[in-house]
Amino acid sequence: MLALLAAFPLIAPALGFEYYVGFVRRVLIVAIAATSLNFILGYGGMAALGHAGFIGVGAYTVVALVEAGFSSAWLAWGSAAVAAGLAAAAIGAVSLRTRGVYFIMITLAFAQMLYYLAVSLRTYGGDDGYGLYTPLALGVWLDGAHAQVFYWVVLAIAAAVFALFSRVAHSRYGHALRGIRDNETRMVALGYPVYGLKLAGFAAAGAVAGLAGGLLASHNAFVSPGMMHWTQSALLLVMVMLGGLGRRWGAALGVALWLTLEEVLKQYTDYWHWPLGLLLVLVVFHAPQGVAALFERRGGKGAVR
Amino acid sequence: MSLFKAEGLVKRFGGLLATDHVDLAVEAGEIHALIGPNGAGKSTLVNVISGLLPADAGRIVLDGTALTTLAPHQRSRHGLARCFQITSVFRNDSVRDNLVLAVQAHAGSSFRCLARRDAERALQQRAEALAQRVGLAEVLERNAGTLPHGVQKRLDVALALASQPKLLLLDEPMAGMGPEDSQQMVALIRGLSSEMAILLIEHDMDAVFQLADRISVLVYGKVLTSGDAAHVRGHAEVQAVYLGTAAPA
Repeated sequence: MLALLAAFPLIAPALGFEYYVGFVRRVLIVAIAATSLNFILGYGGMAALGHAGFIGVGAYTVVALVEAGFSSAWLAWGSAAVAAGLAAAAIGAVSLRTRGVYFIMITLAFAQMLYYLAVSLRTYGGDDGYGLYTPLALGVWLDGAHAQVFYWVVLAIAAAVFALFSRVAHSRYGHALRGIRDNETRMVALGYPVYGLKLAGFAAAGAVAGLAGGLLASHNAFVSPGMMHWTQSALLLVMVMLGGLGRRWGAALGVALWLTLEEVLKQYTDYWHWPLGLLLVLVVFHAPQGVAALFERRGGKGAVR
Repeated sequence: MSLFKAEGLVKRFGGLLATDHVDLAVEAGEIHALIGPNGAGKSTLVNVISGLLPADAGRIVLDGTALTTLAPHQRSRHGLARCFQITSVFRNDSVRDNLVLAVQAHAGSSFRCLARRDAERALQQRAEALAQRVGLAEVLERNAGTLPHGVQKRLDVALALASQPKLLLLDEPMAGMGPEDSQQMVALIRGLSSEMAILLIEHDMDAVFQLADRISVLVYGKVLTSGDAAHVRGHAEVQAVYLGTAAPA
Protein backbone atom coordinates (compact mmCIF):
# COMPACT_ATOMS: atom_id res chain seq x y z
CA MET A 1 0.00 0.00 0.00
CA LEU A 2 2.77 2.35 1.02
CA ALA A 3 4.80 1.40 -2.08
CA LEU A 4 1.77 1.96 -4.27
CA LEU A 5 1.19 5.40 -2.77
CA ALA A 6 4.88 6.23 -3.08
CA ALA A 7 4.92 5.24 -6.74
CA PHE A 8 1.70 7.05 -7.56
CA PRO A 9 3.23 10.38 -8.69
CA LEU A 10 5.48 8.43 -11.08
CA ILE A 11 2.75 6.36 -12.70
CA ALA A 12 0.02 8.97 -12.61
CA PRO A 13 1.16 10.94 -15.68
CA ALA A 14 1.18 7.78 -17.80
CA LEU A 15 -2.43 7.12 -16.82
CA GLY A 16 -3.48 10.73 -17.24
CA PHE A 17 -4.11 11.06 -13.50
CA GLU A 18 -1.67 13.88 -12.90
CA TYR A 19 -4.37 16.02 -11.36
CA TYR A 20 -5.00 13.36 -8.76
CA VAL A 21 -1.51 13.53 -7.28
CA GLY A 22 -2.61 16.69 -5.54
CA PHE A 23 -5.86 15.04 -4.55
CA VAL A 24 -4.14 12.06 -2.93
CA ARG A 25 -1.83 14.48 -1.13
CA ARG A 26 -4.86 16.23 0.33
CA VAL A 27 -6.37 12.89 1.36
CA LEU A 28 -3.14 12.03 3.17
CA ILE A 29 -3.09 15.33 5.03
CA VAL A 30 -6.71 15.08 6.11
CA ALA A 31 -6.06 11.46 7.10
CA ILE A 32 -3.31 12.64 9.46
CA ALA A 33 -5.79 14.95 11.19
CA ALA A 34 -8.49 12.27 11.23
CA THR A 35 -6.09 9.73 12.71
CA SER A 36 -5.37 12.05 15.62
CA LEU A 37 -9.11 12.52 16.17
CA ASN A 38 -9.63 8.76 15.98
CA PHE A 39 -7.00 8.42 18.67
CA ILE A 40 -8.76 10.56 21.26
CA LEU A 41 -12.30 9.64 20.23
CA GLY A 42 -11.97 6.00 19.23
CA TYR A 43 -9.36 4.97 21.78
CA GLY A 44 -9.86 7.62 24.42
CA GLY A 45 -13.62 8.08 24.27
CA MET A 46 -13.26 11.85 24.10
CA ALA A 47 -15.92 13.12 21.71
CA ALA A 48 -14.22 16.37 20.72
CA LEU A 49 -16.11 18.55 18.29
CA GLY A 50 -13.42 21.16 17.88
CA HIS A 51 -10.62 19.34 16.16
CA ALA A 52 -10.62 21.69 13.16
CA GLY A 53 -9.67 24.42 15.62
CA PHE A 54 -6.27 22.78 16.11
CA ILE A 55 -5.87 22.32 12.36
CA GLY A 56 -6.49 26.05 12.13
CA VAL A 57 -3.98 26.90 14.86
CA GLY A 58 -1.39 24.92 12.89
CA ALA A 59 -2.25 26.63 9.61
CA TYR A 60 -2.17 30.11 11.13
CA THR A 61 1.14 29.36 12.83
CA VAL A 62 2.58 28.77 9.36
CA VAL A 63 1.02 32.03 8.19
CA ALA A 64 2.47 33.92 11.15
CA LEU A 65 5.96 32.55 10.50
CA VAL A 66 5.78 33.32 6.79
CA GLU A 67 4.55 36.83 7.55
CA ALA A 68 7.49 37.21 9.93
CA GLY A 69 9.89 36.27 7.16
CA PHE A 70 10.70 32.64 7.91
CA SER A 71 10.73 30.23 5.00
CA SER A 72 11.80 26.84 6.38
CA ALA A 73 9.03 24.28 5.97
CA TRP A 74 10.31 22.13 8.84
CA LEU A 75 10.39 25.10 11.20
CA ALA A 76 6.90 26.13 10.10
CA TRP A 77 5.32 22.69 10.37
CA GLY A 78 7.14 21.89 13.59
CA SER A 79 5.95 25.14 15.12
CA ALA A 80 2.45 24.42 13.85
CA ALA A 81 2.45 21.15 15.80
CA VAL A 82 3.88 22.77 18.94
CA ALA A 83 1.47 25.71 18.87
CA ALA A 84 -1.56 23.47 18.32
CA GLY A 85 -0.33 21.09 21.02
CA LEU A 86 -0.10 23.95 23.50
CA ALA A 87 -3.54 25.23 22.49
CA ALA A 88 -4.94 21.70 22.92
CA ALA A 89 -3.28 21.37 26.34
CA ALA A 90 -4.86 24.64 27.49
CA ILE A 91 -8.29 23.87 26.02
CA GLY A 92 -8.14 20.27 27.22
CA ALA A 93 -7.21 21.35 30.74
CA VAL A 94 -10.57 23.08 30.99
CA SER A 95 -12.72 20.86 28.74
CA LEU A 96 -11.66 17.54 30.26
CA ARG A 97 -13.28 18.53 33.53
CA THR A 98 -16.60 17.97 31.79
CA ARG A 99 -18.19 14.81 30.38
CA GLY A 100 -20.44 13.68 27.57
CA VAL A 101 -22.53 16.32 25.87
CA TYR A 102 -20.88 19.09 27.90
CA PHE A 103 -17.50 18.01 26.58
CA ILE A 104 -18.80 18.13 23.01
CA MET A 105 -20.23 21.60 23.56
CA ILE A 106 -17.19 23.06 25.31
CA THR A 107 -14.72 21.82 22.69
CA LEU A 108 -17.05 23.22 20.04
CA ALA A 109 -17.17 26.55 21.86
CA PHE A 110 -13.39 26.79 22.12
CA ALA A 111 -12.95 25.95 18.44
CA GLN A 112 -15.46 28.64 17.49
CA MET A 113 -13.51 31.12 19.63
CA LEU A 114 -10.41 30.24 17.62
CA TYR A 115 -12.45 30.65 14.44
CA TYR A 116 -13.56 34.15 15.36
CA LEU A 117 -10.05 34.99 16.50
CA ALA A 118 -8.83 34.09 12.99
CA VAL A 119 -11.61 36.17 11.43
CA SER A 120 -10.50 39.16 13.47
CA LEU A 121 -6.82 38.86 12.56
CA ARG A 122 -6.61 41.62 9.94
CA THR A 123 -2.86 41.17 9.40
CA TYR A 124 -3.46 37.60 8.30
CA GLY A 125 -6.30 38.45 5.96
CA GLY A 126 -9.21 38.16 8.36
CA ASP A 127 -12.25 36.74 6.64
CA ASP A 128 -10.59 36.76 3.23
CA GLY A 129 -7.82 34.43 4.22
CA TYR A 130 -4.13 34.59 3.48
CA GLY A 131 -2.31 33.42 0.36
CA LEU A 132 1.05 31.66 0.73
CA TYR A 133 2.54 32.57 -2.63
CA THR A 134 6.05 31.22 -2.18
CA PRO A 135 6.31 27.55 -1.27
CA LEU A 136 8.20 26.86 1.94
CA ALA A 137 11.77 25.63 1.63
CA LEU A 138 12.21 21.97 2.53
CA GLY A 139 15.98 21.92 2.85
CA VAL A 140 19.22 21.70 0.94
CA TRP A 141 18.41 19.01 -1.55
CA LEU A 142 14.64 18.89 -1.37
CA ASP A 143 12.95 21.27 -3.74
CA GLY A 144 9.93 22.70 -1.98
CA ALA A 145 8.36 23.98 -5.18
CA HIS A 146 8.36 20.52 -6.69
CA ALA A 147 4.89 18.99 -6.40
CA GLN A 148 6.16 15.42 -6.26
CA VAL A 149 8.73 16.11 -3.56
CA PHE A 150 6.05 17.69 -1.39
CA TYR A 151 3.83 14.67 -2.06
CA TRP A 152 6.51 12.29 -0.83
CA VAL A 153 7.23 14.39 2.22
CA VAL A 154 3.54 14.33 3.11
CA LEU A 155 3.40 10.58 2.52
CA ALA A 156 6.42 10.02 4.76
CA ILE A 157 4.91 12.15 7.54
CA ALA A 158 1.55 10.39 7.22
CA ALA A 159 3.24 6.98 7.38
CA ALA A 160 5.21 8.05 10.45
CA VAL A 161 2.06 9.32 12.16
CA PHE A 162 0.15 6.09 11.47
CA ALA A 163 3.07 3.98 12.65
CA LEU A 164 3.37 6.07 15.80
CA PHE A 165 -0.30 5.83 16.70
CA SER A 166 -0.45 2.07 16.08
CA ARG A 167 2.53 1.67 18.32
CA VAL A 168 1.06 3.82 21.04
CA ALA A 169 -2.19 1.83 20.84
CA HIS A 170 -0.38 -1.27 22.11
CA SER A 171 1.67 0.49 24.76
CA ARG A 172 0.85 0.87 28.44
CA TYR A 173 -0.53 4.28 27.63
CA GLY A 174 -2.76 2.96 24.83
CA HIS A 175 -4.19 0.26 27.08
CA ALA A 176 -4.81 2.75 29.85
CA LEU A 177 -6.57 5.10 27.45
CA ARG A 178 -8.90 2.35 26.25
CA GLY A 179 -9.56 1.38 29.85
CA ILE A 180 -10.68 4.96 30.50
CA ARG A 181 -12.94 4.84 27.46
CA ASP A 182 -14.55 1.61 28.60
CA ASN A 183 -14.85 2.23 32.34
CA GLU A 184 -13.56 5.52 33.63
CA THR A 185 -14.80 5.13 37.22
CA ARG A 186 -13.05 1.81 37.60
CA MET A 187 -9.83 3.27 36.20
CA VAL A 188 -9.97 6.03 38.80
CA ALA A 189 -10.55 3.46 41.54
CA LEU A 190 -7.66 1.37 40.24
CA GLY A 191 -5.37 4.33 40.81
CA TYR A 192 -4.93 5.73 37.31
CA PRO A 193 -4.38 9.49 37.00
CA VAL A 194 -7.25 9.60 34.52
CA TYR A 195 -7.32 13.35 34.02
CA GLY A 196 -3.61 13.55 33.28
CA LEU A 197 -3.73 10.60 30.92
CA LYS A 198 -6.61 12.10 28.97
CA LEU A 199 -4.98 15.51 28.85
CA ALA A 200 -1.75 14.06 27.45
CA GLY A 201 -3.69 12.29 24.70
CA PHE A 202 -5.75 15.37 23.93
CA ALA A 203 -2.66 17.58 23.65
CA ALA A 204 -0.82 15.04 21.48
CA ALA A 205 -3.81 14.71 19.17
CA GLY A 206 -4.02 18.51 18.98
CA ALA A 207 -0.35 18.69 18.04
CA VAL A 208 -0.79 16.17 15.24
CA ALA A 209 -3.88 18.00 14.00
CA GLY A 210 -1.79 21.19 14.02
CA LEU A 211 0.87 19.46 11.96
CA ALA A 212 -1.84 18.46 9.47
CA GLY A 213 -3.00 22.08 9.50
CA GLY A 214 0.51 23.28 8.66
CA LEU A 215 0.72 20.80 5.80
CA LEU A 216 -2.72 21.80 4.60
CA ALA A 217 -1.65 25.45 4.53
CA SER A 218 1.24 24.50 2.24
CA HIS A 219 -0.97 22.22 0.18
CA ASN A 220 -3.62 24.84 -0.47
CA ALA A 221 -1.11 27.71 -0.54
CA PHE A 222 -3.94 29.46 1.23
CA VAL A 223 -5.31 29.69 4.74
CA SER A 224 -8.71 31.00 5.76
CA PRO A 225 -10.84 30.90 8.90
CA GLY A 226 -13.22 28.58 7.03
CA MET A 227 -10.92 25.63 7.61
CA MET A 228 -11.52 25.85 11.36
CA HIS A 229 -15.26 26.36 11.25
CA TRP A 230 -17.11 23.88 13.43
CA THR A 231 -18.65 22.19 10.39
CA GLN A 232 -15.12 21.12 9.48
CA SER A 233 -14.76 19.50 12.90
CA ALA A 234 -18.07 17.73 12.35
CA LEU A 235 -17.00 16.58 8.90
CA LEU A 236 -13.81 15.14 10.34
CA LEU A 237 -15.88 13.33 12.95
CA VAL A 238 -18.18 11.93 10.27
CA MET A 239 -15.22 10.67 8.23
CA VAL A 240 -13.72 8.92 11.25
CA MET A 241 -17.02 7.26 12.10
CA LEU A 242 -17.58 6.27 8.49
CA GLY A 243 -14.20 4.55 8.48
CA GLY A 244 -14.50 2.94 11.87
CA LEU A 245 -14.08 4.45 15.31
CA GLY A 246 -11.14 3.11 17.27
CA ARG A 247 -9.85 1.01 14.40
CA ARG A 248 -6.33 1.34 13.17
CA TRP A 249 -7.22 2.04 9.54
CA GLY A 250 -10.60 3.53 10.30
CA ALA A 251 -9.68 7.18 10.04
CA ALA A 252 -7.57 6.86 6.89
CA LEU A 253 -10.17 4.68 5.20
CA GLY A 254 -13.01 7.03 6.11
CA VAL A 255 -11.17 10.06 4.79
CA ALA A 256 -10.15 8.32 1.56
CA LEU A 257 -13.67 7.04 0.96
CA TRP A 258 -15.42 10.31 1.73
CA LEU A 259 -13.09 12.60 -0.22
CA THR A 260 -12.93 10.22 -3.21
CA LEU A 261 -16.70 9.97 -3.41
CA GLU A 262 -16.99 13.73 -3.05
CA GLU A 263 -14.47 14.23 -5.83
CA VAL A 264 -16.17 11.74 -8.16
CA LEU A 265 -19.72 12.80 -7.43
CA LYS A 266 -18.89 16.46 -7.97
CA GLN A 267 -18.09 15.66 -11.60
CA TYR A 268 -21.60 14.39 -12.21
CA THR A 269 -23.84 16.50 -10.10
CA ASP A 270 -23.98 19.67 -8.06
CA TYR A 271 -26.05 17.79 -5.54
CA TRP A 272 -23.25 15.52 -4.38
CA HIS A 273 -24.32 15.86 -0.74
CA TRP A 274 -27.31 13.64 -1.41
CA PRO A 275 -25.54 10.37 -2.25
CA LEU A 276 -22.96 10.99 0.48
CA GLY A 277 -25.75 11.46 3.00
CA LEU A 278 -27.37 8.28 1.77
CA LEU A 279 -24.08 6.43 2.15
CA LEU A 280 -23.83 7.66 5.72
CA VAL A 281 -27.32 6.40 6.52
CA LEU A 282 -26.46 3.02 4.98
CA VAL A 283 -23.26 2.78 6.99
CA VAL A 284 -25.06 3.67 10.20
CA PHE A 285 -27.60 0.89 9.63
CA HIS A 286 -25.47 -1.82 8.08
CA ALA A 287 -21.95 -1.19 9.34
CA PRO A 288 -22.27 0.80 12.56
CA GLN A 289 -18.68 -0.14 13.39
CA GLY A 290 -17.54 1.63 10.24
CA VAL A 291 -16.28 0.46 6.89
CA ALA A 292 -12.98 -0.78 8.36
CA ALA A 293 -14.95 -3.34 10.37
CA LEU A 294 -16.27 -4.89 7.16
CA PHE A 295 -12.74 -5.71 6.14
CA GLU A 296 -11.86 -7.37 9.40
CA ARG A 297 -13.03 -10.83 10.18
CA ARG A 298 -15.14 -10.94 13.26
CA GLY A 299 -12.83 -10.87 16.28
CA GLY A 300 -9.87 -10.67 13.92
CA LYS A 301 -6.50 -9.34 14.93
CA GLY A 302 -6.94 -6.14 12.96
CA ALA A 303 -9.33 -4.72 15.50
CA VAL A 304 -7.78 -2.92 18.39
CA ARG A 305 -10.74 -2.73 20.64
CA MET B 1 -4.20 3.70 66.77
CA SER B 2 -6.54 2.27 64.20
CA LEU B 3 -5.30 1.50 60.70
CA PHE B 4 -8.21 3.39 59.21
CA LYS B 5 -10.22 6.16 60.73
CA ALA B 6 -13.07 8.27 59.44
CA GLU B 7 -14.14 11.13 61.69
CA GLY B 8 -17.22 13.29 61.38
CA LEU B 9 -17.81 12.47 57.72
CA VAL B 10 -20.63 14.44 56.17
CA LYS B 11 -22.11 14.19 52.70
CA ARG B 12 -25.12 16.22 51.65
CA PHE B 13 -27.19 15.94 48.50
CA GLY B 14 -29.14 19.17 48.58
CA GLY B 15 -31.25 18.93 51.73
CA LEU B 16 -30.57 15.24 52.23
CA LEU B 17 -27.94 14.32 54.76
CA ALA B 18 -26.76 11.05 53.19
CA THR B 19 -23.77 10.71 55.47
CA ASP B 20 -24.45 12.23 58.87
CA HIS B 21 -21.28 12.79 60.93
CA VAL B 22 -20.05 9.23 60.60
CA ASP B 23 -17.18 8.01 62.76
CA LEU B 24 -15.74 4.70 61.73
CA ALA B 25 -12.55 2.84 62.56
CA VAL B 26 -11.10 -0.29 61.06
CA GLU B 27 -8.25 -2.06 62.84
CA ALA B 28 -5.44 -3.85 61.07
CA GLY B 29 -6.40 -7.42 60.18
CA GLU B 30 -10.04 -6.76 60.95
CA ILE B 31 -13.13 -7.40 58.86
CA HIS B 32 -15.49 -4.64 59.75
CA ALA B 33 -18.97 -5.05 58.34
CA LEU B 34 -21.27 -2.16 57.62
CA ILE B 35 -24.93 -3.07 57.50
CA GLY B 36 -28.10 -1.10 57.25
CA PRO B 37 -31.43 -1.03 55.43
CA ASN B 38 -31.74 0.13 51.83
CA GLY B 39 -31.17 3.85 51.53
CA ALA B 40 -29.17 4.02 54.76
CA GLY B 41 -26.28 5.62 52.85
CA LYS B 42 -23.87 2.68 52.75
CA SER B 43 -22.83 3.11 49.14
CA THR B 44 -22.57 6.86 49.57
CA LEU B 45 -20.22 6.26 52.48
CA VAL B 46 -18.05 3.94 50.39
CA ASN B 47 -17.97 6.54 47.60
CA VAL B 48 -16.98 9.26 50.07
CA ILE B 49 -14.24 7.11 51.60
CA SER B 50 -12.86 6.08 48.22
CA GLY B 51 -13.03 9.68 47.04
CA LEU B 52 -15.45 9.26 44.13
CA LEU B 53 -17.69 11.68 46.02
CA PRO B 54 -16.05 14.60 47.84
CA ALA B 55 -16.90 14.82 51.52
CA ASP B 56 -18.56 18.00 52.77
CA ALA B 57 -16.87 17.67 56.15
CA GLY B 58 -14.78 15.26 58.14
CA ARG B 59 -11.45 13.53 58.05
CA ILE B 60 -10.22 10.26 56.58
CA VAL B 61 -6.91 8.78 57.70
CA LEU B 62 -5.33 5.57 56.48
CA ASP B 63 -2.16 4.29 58.12
CA GLY B 64 -1.20 7.77 59.29
CA THR B 65 -1.86 9.50 55.96
CA ALA B 66 -4.70 11.97 55.67
CA LEU B 67 -6.67 11.06 52.55
CA THR B 68 -9.43 13.62 52.89
CA THR B 69 -8.20 16.04 50.25
CA LEU B 70 -6.65 13.47 47.93
CA ALA B 71 -8.13 12.48 44.57
CA PRO B 72 -9.42 8.91 44.34
CA HIS B 73 -6.46 7.68 42.30
CA GLN B 74 -4.09 9.10 44.91
CA ARG B 75 -6.00 7.33 47.68
CA SER B 76 -5.45 4.14 45.72
CA ARG B 77 -1.71 4.80 45.77
CA HIS B 78 -1.86 5.15 49.54
CA GLY B 79 -3.35 1.72 49.98
CA LEU B 80 -7.09 2.10 49.57
CA ALA B 81 -8.89 -0.17 47.11
CA ARG B 82 -12.52 -0.83 46.41
CA CYS B 83 -15.00 -3.04 44.63
CA PHE B 84 -18.30 -2.02 43.17
CA GLN B 85 -21.82 -3.02 44.07
CA ILE B 86 -22.69 -3.13 40.38
CA THR B 87 -19.92 -5.28 38.99
CA SER B 88 -17.40 -3.02 37.35
CA VAL B 89 -15.00 -4.87 35.09
CA PHE B 90 -13.80 -4.29 31.54
CA ARG B 91 -16.44 -6.41 29.84
CA ASN B 92 -14.96 -6.42 26.34
CA ASP B 93 -11.51 -7.53 27.46
CA SER B 94 -10.22 -10.91 28.51
CA VAL B 95 -9.80 -11.68 32.19
CA ARG B 96 -6.06 -11.54 31.58
CA ASP B 97 -6.23 -8.04 30.09
CA ASN B 98 -8.46 -6.94 32.97
CA LEU B 99 -5.91 -8.10 35.50
CA VAL B 100 -2.90 -6.75 33.61
CA LEU B 101 -4.58 -3.36 33.43
CA ALA B 102 -5.16 -3.43 37.18
CA VAL B 103 -1.57 -4.48 37.89
CA GLN B 104 -0.19 -1.88 35.49
CA ALA B 105 -1.76 0.95 37.50
CA HIS B 106 0.68 0.37 40.35
CA ALA B 107 3.76 -0.82 38.50
CA GLY B 108 5.55 2.08 36.89
CA SER B 109 4.24 4.84 34.69
CA SER B 110 1.22 4.45 32.45
CA PHE B 111 2.47 7.34 30.35
CA ARG B 112 4.94 5.01 28.65
CA CYS B 113 3.72 5.06 25.10
CA LEU B 114 6.17 3.32 22.79
CA ALA B 115 7.08 -0.06 24.25
CA ARG B 116 4.58 -2.85 23.67
CA ARG B 117 2.86 -3.54 26.97
CA ASP B 118 2.08 -7.17 26.46
CA ALA B 119 5.78 -7.88 26.07
CA GLU B 120 6.29 -7.03 29.75
CA ARG B 121 6.61 -10.42 31.42
CA ALA B 122 6.44 -9.02 34.94
CA LEU B 123 2.94 -7.61 34.42
CA GLN B 124 1.71 -10.86 32.91
CA GLN B 125 3.15 -12.92 35.73
CA ARG B 126 1.58 -10.78 38.40
CA ALA B 127 -1.76 -10.95 36.60
CA GLU B 128 -1.49 -14.74 36.44
CA ALA B 129 -0.62 -14.96 40.12
CA LEU B 130 -3.63 -12.81 40.93
CA ALA B 131 -5.87 -15.05 38.83
CA GLN B 132 -4.55 -18.10 40.67
CA ARG B 133 -5.23 -16.42 43.97
CA VAL B 134 -8.93 -15.72 43.36
CA GLY B 135 -9.63 -18.82 41.28
CA LEU B 136 -9.75 -17.28 37.83
CA ALA B 137 -6.83 -19.17 36.31
CA GLU B 138 -9.17 -21.38 34.29
CA VAL B 139 -10.92 -18.49 32.60
CA LEU B 140 -7.91 -16.25 32.01
CA GLU B 141 -8.46 -15.95 28.27
CA ARG B 142 -12.25 -15.63 28.39
CA ASN B 143 -13.96 -12.32 27.76
CA ALA B 144 -14.98 -10.86 31.09
CA GLY B 145 -18.46 -9.93 29.86
CA THR B 146 -19.27 -13.54 28.97
CA LEU B 147 -18.55 -14.92 32.44
CA PRO B 148 -21.25 -15.87 34.94
CA HIS B 149 -22.17 -13.21 37.49
CA GLY B 150 -20.38 -14.85 40.40
CA VAL B 151 -17.14 -15.14 38.45
CA GLN B 152 -17.35 -11.50 37.35
CA LYS B 153 -17.75 -10.53 41.01
CA ARG B 154 -14.54 -12.42 41.83
CA LEU B 155 -12.80 -10.57 39.00
CA ASP B 156 -14.07 -7.29 40.45
CA VAL B 157 -12.42 -8.22 43.77
CA ALA B 158 -9.25 -9.32 41.98
CA LEU B 159 -8.97 -5.93 40.24
CA ALA B 160 -9.00 -4.26 43.65
CA LEU B 161 -6.38 -6.65 45.01
CA ALA B 162 -3.88 -5.76 42.29
CA SER B 163 -2.74 -2.71 44.22
CA GLN B 164 -2.03 -4.80 47.34
CA PRO B 165 -4.15 -2.47 49.45
CA LYS B 166 -3.99 -1.88 53.17
CA LEU B 167 -7.74 -1.37 53.31
CA LEU B 168 -10.19 -3.03 50.96
CA LEU B 169 -13.70 -1.64 50.61
CA LEU B 170 -16.13 -4.33 49.48
CA ASP B 171 -19.50 -2.93 48.39
CA GLU B 172 -21.91 -5.86 48.48
CA PRO B 173 -19.62 -8.53 47.03
CA MET B 174 -22.35 -11.17 47.38
CA ALA B 175 -25.09 -9.13 45.70
CA GLY B 176 -27.16 -11.25 43.36
CA MET B 177 -25.23 -14.44 44.08
CA GLY B 178 -26.50 -17.94 44.63
CA PRO B 179 -25.52 -19.84 47.80
CA GLU B 180 -22.61 -21.66 46.17
CA ASP B 181 -21.00 -18.51 44.76
CA SER B 182 -21.62 -16.78 48.09
CA GLN B 183 -19.72 -19.45 49.99
CA GLN B 184 -16.81 -19.18 47.56
CA MET B 185 -16.77 -15.43 48.10
CA VAL B 186 -16.89 -15.85 51.87
CA ALA B 187 -13.87 -18.15 51.69
CA LEU B 188 -12.03 -15.70 49.45
CA ILE B 189 -12.71 -12.75 51.76
CA ARG B 190 -11.69 -14.71 54.85
CA GLY B 191 -8.43 -15.62 53.09
CA LEU B 192 -7.72 -11.98 52.38
CA SER B 193 -8.21 -10.77 55.92
CA SER B 194 -4.76 -11.87 57.06
CA GLU B 195 -3.18 -9.42 54.59
CA MET B 196 -5.43 -6.40 54.71
CA ALA B 197 -8.16 -4.75 56.68
CA ILE B 198 -11.58 -5.03 55.09
CA LEU B 199 -14.63 -2.83 55.27
CA LEU B 200 -17.47 -5.04 54.13
CA ILE B 201 -20.86 -3.78 53.10
CA GLU B 202 -23.27 -6.62 52.73
CA HIS B 203 -26.95 -7.49 52.80
CA ASP B 204 -26.37 -11.23 53.19
CA MET B 205 -26.60 -11.55 56.97
CA ASP B 206 -25.28 -15.10 57.03
CA ALA B 207 -22.12 -13.91 55.30
CA VAL B 208 -21.81 -10.92 57.60
CA PHE B 209 -22.11 -12.98 60.76
CA GLN B 210 -19.65 -15.54 59.38
CA LEU B 211 -17.03 -13.00 58.46
CA ALA B 212 -17.22 -9.87 60.54
CA ASP B 213 -15.08 -9.19 63.58
CA ARG B 214 -17.07 -6.07 64.18
CA ILE B 215 -20.32 -4.73 62.77
CA SER B 216 -21.51 -1.15 62.45
CA VAL B 217 -25.13 -0.41 61.71
CA LEU B 218 -25.92 2.56 59.50
CA VAL B 219 -29.40 4.06 59.58
CA TYR B 220 -30.36 7.28 57.81
CA GLY B 221 -26.70 8.10 57.25
CA LYS B 222 -25.84 7.75 60.95
CA VAL B 223 -23.97 5.02 62.77
CA LEU B 224 -26.58 3.57 65.13
CA THR B 225 -24.27 1.22 66.96
CA SER B 226 -21.03 -0.65 66.57
CA GLY B 227 -19.86 -3.90 68.11
CA ASP B 228 -19.44 -7.63 67.66
CA ALA B 229 -22.11 -9.92 66.24
CA ALA B 230 -23.68 -10.69 69.61
CA HIS B 231 -23.92 -7.02 70.49
CA VAL B 232 -25.59 -6.13 67.21
CA ARG B 233 -27.97 -9.06 67.34
CA GLY B 234 -29.00 -8.13 70.85
CA HIS B 235 -29.39 -4.42 70.19
CA ALA B 236 -33.05 -3.58 70.44
CA GLU B 237 -33.03 -0.64 68.04
CA VAL B 238 -31.14 -2.63 65.43
CA GLN B 239 -33.69 -5.38 65.65
CA ALA B 240 -36.43 -2.84 65.17
CA VAL B 241 -35.03 -0.99 62.17
CA TYR B 242 -33.14 -3.67 60.42
CA LEU B 243 -33.45 -7.29 61.38
CA GLY B 244 -37.14 -7.27 62.10
CA THR B 245 -38.52 -7.93 65.55
CA ALA B 246 -36.82 -11.27 66.14
CA ALA B 247 -33.08 -11.80 65.75
CA PRO B 248 -32.13 -14.57 63.33
CA ALA B 249 -31.01 -17.79 64.95
